[in-house]
Amino acid sequence: MRTLSSLLRREVVTESGRTLGRCYDLRGELTATTLRVTGLCVGHSAWLAHLGVRGHDSHTEIPWDDVVRIEGKRIVVRDTDSQ
Amino acid sequence: MSKVLGLALGILAAIGGFVDIGDLVFNVSAGATFGYELMWVIPIGVVGIIVYSEMCGRVAAVSGKAVFDAIRERVGFKAGLGALVSSEVVNLMTLAAEVGGVAIALQLLSGLPYRWLIVLAIVALLVVIWVTSFEWLERIFGYGGLCMLVFAVAAIKLGPSWTDVGKGFIPHIAGDSKLLYGYFIIGLLGAALTPYEVYFYSSGGIEDQWSPKDIGLNRANAIIGYGLGGFLSLALMVVGAALFLSRGISPEHLGTIALGAEVPLGQIGLLLALVGILFAVGGASIDTVFSGAYNLAQFCGWEWGRYRHARGAPRFALTWIVLLVLAMGIVLTGVDPVVLTEYAVIFSVVALPLTYIPILLVANDRAYMGRYGNGRLANVLGLLYLVVIVIVALSAVPLMILTNVGQN
Amino acid sequence: MEIDIGLHLLDHQLLDKDGRRCGNADDLAIEGGPGETPEVVAILVGPGFWGQRAGWIGKLAGWIGGGRRVRVDWSDVDKVDSAIELKRGATELGLGRGDDRLRPWIAKIPGAGR
Repeated sequence: MRTLSSLLRREVVTESGRTLGRCYDLRGELTATTLRVTGLCVGHSAWLAHLGVRGHDSHTEIPWDDVVRIEGKRIVVRDTDSQ
Repeated sequence: MSKVLGLALGILAAIGGFVDIGDLVFNVSAGATFGYELMWVIPIGVVGIIVYSEMCGRVAAVSGKAVFDAIRERVGFKAGLGALVSSEVVNLMTLAAEVGGVAIALQLLSGLPYRWLIVLAIVALLVVIWVTSFEWLERIFGYGGLCMLVFAVAAIKLGPSWTDVGKGFIPHIAGDSKLLYGYFIIGLLGAALTPYEVYFYSSGGIEDQWSPKDIGLNRANAIIGYGLGGFLSLALMVVGAALFLSRGISPEHLGTIALGAEVPLGQIGLLLALVGILFAVGGASIDTVFSGAYNLAQFCGWEWGRYRHARGAPRFALTWIVLLVLAMGIVLTGVDPVVLTEYAVIFSVVALPLTYIPILLVANDRAYMGRYGNGRLANVLGLLYLVVIVIVALSAVPLMILTNVGQN
Repeated sequence: MEIDIGLHLLDHQLLDKDGRRCGNADDLAIEGGPGETPEVVAILVGPGFWGQRAGWIGKLAGWIGGGRRVRVDWSDVDKVDSAIELKRGATELGLGRGDDRLRPWIAKIPGAGR
């Protein structure tokens, strides 16, 4: 089991080592009975983006399926063309 | 009760409640030190508190969230905790200063020993808050505070040179004693931009269940109430300048400040001044202690509110009781309330950005505010005051040190 | 409905079935990792969870606050609105205990329940 706070602020890197930014929130699908995690919200100035200063368009959303592993202080995701 | 009557009464209470011990100390001292040269700062302070209050009130009306709810949600736990701790420290200092002011006013009215009056003041506040409904508290202290209008009468009676007064409204830098001048600018703005008033106002709005349709009324209440209340600050500065400057008196005691009404208006002036000070500062201490309780309860997620009664919100009730007792302890150490006031105002100004910035962000956040988010005017003013507040916050402590807390 | 989980849940007020305020969402428990479909399974409430939010300052504040930890199962969540509304009462869920424990003492003072 993880906590949300343990995932936030982690650096997000691709398998090939490229840094995409920091995870400043998780995207989810809320139903009547469940809340599933569907993705990561990643941005470079994550804190400012979370505060809404630069608006949500300055971030990338990474689908959870692209998450390879969570290690140490980072989240590793697959390289994809859209990045 | 018709809306107009309600608004009028609200405005009267706001005028009576506008002046607190920070305004008394800084406005009169500024007049006594620099004459009318600092008049221009007062309107800037008044517009500032209107802008800040209006934003917090609107956030409360639209999002249903009070200041510390919104701060914690929007800027996160860590920053929120920092804002909370600094607010509570400043709040307690301010509360102690206000309570000390109440005790001094009681002493001047009754002649009884000061230390006993500190305890009496706290016990009286505890009882009055516990027993009295909120509407009546607002009325008693608001209307009682209207006695402060005696200073407006005194200001006119002292026959100041109105051309000099007028000149004072043009922003300028003093010829000499620039550091002290800067210190007074900080103090005057700090005394006007009281954060506790804003927390109290917005939490009160949630309690009164404001909705977006109340925005107009409350904007009017803020603008007219604070605007007219600002005239009292002007009057205090004129009194300080007209009476004390020429005589070289430095008003370091509330008694001296009350002289400002006695000299032109005699015994009745003195009595009204002391009663006005008692109610204005007493009312301010109530707002301050509640704002301290609101902030802590909101940050921690406790049940809170005057309307919940003590049984409904026990930790909230215990908080304001404990804060009053702590304030009593501080004043009983013998610290001079006027000195404590100066420190409280300066530190309040330093901590101001920590709560102003999050509120400015929330007021702009469409997710919270829908179509009631800051429009162009609100943002121009909001950002302008952000600059003012940050500059003031950064220069406050250096100026305080360099001028030896205004003693130079 | 798609939401930003932290934005809509973290640090938000919890309300029980009677509308009583009973804490903030201090953290969320998520089960499931990479390669699975993670789910938010619980809301974590209490000063005991502050340490993981704000380092040593959080730990200190949490200790001053009593260090309590309560886990509210996601199944007890009724609605996610501006606040998080729960299906059951606060006391049942172990929330708002500070208020419950203080209440009998405060209630002894006359005029406490007007």
